[in-house]
Amino acid sequence: MSRILPRVRNEPLPSAEQADPDLRTVPAKGIIQRLFSGTASWVFLIDIALIIVFATLSSQHSFLSLTNVQALLGGTEALLLSLGLALLLGAGIIDFSLGANLVVSSVTGGIAIQHITGSFSAQGSYHALGWAVFLGLAASIATGVLFGLVNGLAISYVGINPLIATLGTAGIGTGIALVITNGGDISGLPAQLQQDVGLKTVADIPLPAFVAILLAVVMFLIIRFTRFGMRSLAMGSSRAAAERSGINVRLHALRLTMLAGAFAGLAGFVDIARFGATTTSGHANDALNALTAVIIGGTLLEGGRVSIIGAIWGTALAVTLQEGLVVIGVQAFYQLIAVGVVLIVAVSVDRFRYRRRA
Amino acid sequence: MWPDHSSSPAGDSDPAPLSRPSIAISGRHIAKRFGHVQALSDANVTVHAGEVVAIFGDNGAGKTTFLKTLLGMQRPDAGELIVAGKPVHLESIRDAQQLGVEAVHQDLALAPELSVVDNMFLGHEILRQGAYRVIGVLNRAEMTERADAALRELSIKLPSLAVPVRDLSGGQKQGVAVARAVMWGHTAILMDEPTAALGARQSEIVCELMRTIASRGLGVLVVSHDIPRVLKVADKVTILWRGGTALEAPASGLTVPDVVATMVGYRKEEAA
Repeated sequence: MSRILPRVRNEPLPSAEQADPDLRTVPAKGIIQRLFSGTASWVFLIDIALIIVFATLSSQHSFLSLTNVQALLGGTEALLLSLGLALLLGAGIIDFSLGANLVVSSVTGGIAIQHITGSFSAQGSYHALGWAVFLGLAASIATGVLFGLVNGLAISYVGINPLIATLGTAGIGTGIALVITNGGDISGLPAQLQQDVGLKTVADIPLPAFVAILLAVVMFLIIRFTRFGMRSLAMGSSRAAAERSGINVRLHALRLTMLAGAFAGLAGFVDIARFGATTTSGHANDALNALTAVIIGGTLLEGGRVSIIGAIWGTALAVTLQEGLVVIGVQAFYQLIAVGVVLIVAVSVDRFRYRRRA
Repeated sequence: MWPDHSSSPAGDSDPAPLSRPSIAISGRHIAKRFGHVQALSDANVTVHAGEVVAIFGDNGAGKTTFLKTLLGMQRPDAGELIVAGKPVHLESIRDAQQLGVEAVHQDLALAPELSVVDNMFLGHEILRQGAYRVIGVLNRAEMTERADAALRELSIKLPSLAVPVRDLSGGQKQGVAVARAVMWGHTAILMDEPTAALGARQSEIVCELMRTIASRGLGVLVVSHDIPRVLKVADKVTILWRGGTALEAPASGLTVPDVVATMVGYRKEEAA
């Protein structure tokens, strides 16, 4: 009667029990099968294939030698937004305001830096440069968190649908950024911001990209191994189940939107470190691009399942296509079509697999 | 922890053994009104420790409202709640949970994407010690061990505790929800239509589970439409009719036609 239950992951069923209708379940999978049952691995293979294609097609394989720092920084910003969004989607919250958050955060970061360093002096020297950069970073992240807090309050405590709430705050955020900059951009930030932070490379990889990868690893660990991650996924999987287990779902949602906001704030700082100026008009599609990258990677829009690795490959896919098409001399507009096609295919495959199991 | 007999009304039709076990959960003269609807008028039920008590009733008789009241999900307009022998006021389901009352909801309230282990410990997670504790790292090894022990004790068979709950069969899901309730409940387990989504064989297993849980000294209260099956395992039956208790009786003396007749109100009408 009290048979010892198998506790090992995916341990195969004892054959005598297989006829028992109470033991029907998915058959155990091998490690290779498991590795490629996830969408992330397929997207990774597509990434690799694209890199090979572009390397072959580009003259003198210039695609590979061109580890374009600017492109990688663009990818870094996109990845930071994707990481925050992936966690939110896992908890069943969608966010369309991350691009706007990035813009506002870059503006406040830029203003903070300008205030501390004072205006550009003829000697090209700045006052308290180290502090300025640090406080600029702090201002950007704080703005991002505040933006997330507003989203969270609107979603959790006012009870507005996340889609509507973040569409609203996206408009408000972009508007505020443009009001502050009077429709233009904050420029003339210290060149050291670019040299020593944004464009600083270690082994040809820009510093911010390292930070983003590190954060991705941290996020992966949080989702996999911590109570915070587990409760986030529980919330996305079944909000009612999370509520009835005594989890404070509203507060948890607030924490998540603030965390995603912090990521957007950091992305905003990367943006000013990348250009030495804000780019208020360049981020209109960021939120949708992040959503695309995350979904391509296998995170469920409905919540309950997050793939951080998938979000990385999904982001890499967009960046690789964008840069690769330019290098081989095809108009970059085709990138939009290609990413769209991959999105539809990835989700279709996922749907099919999901439905078949259900 | 023993029942206060003075508070229980006369005419309580429990079989009174010599050493009467304590009341696990009880609702006395519960009334609840929603706008124009008098959902409950005089609903009574008493579950002693070690007993399985069934609530039957037609649709709209107030079964769900009664259950929600007993769980603290709704506050009654009138009446008295007793948990573990003491009169209590429940503000939320959390209050009930702290008194050891757990529920198996009709929709099971499981997170389908999460593993069996994670579902069983949701809201009661075990963390690793030391620095890990500060950042909330789960101790999945211990969680798995305890979940395994809890499932084994109830003879619930699962292929693996690491699979997401959505990959389990209906009966297995029910088993996980029941085991979770038993794991955290130490006074009473309330079940809302536990067999509604199950096949015949799986329903039998769940009914056996009710007996197993009761034998561990918990009170089991089950709301069900599956009269024949539940009547067989129940010690006592409470039948609701239009928001009030029409009958409280030992199950042994009742037949399915008796129950149905009372459920649809024939007895009340005859008496009138």
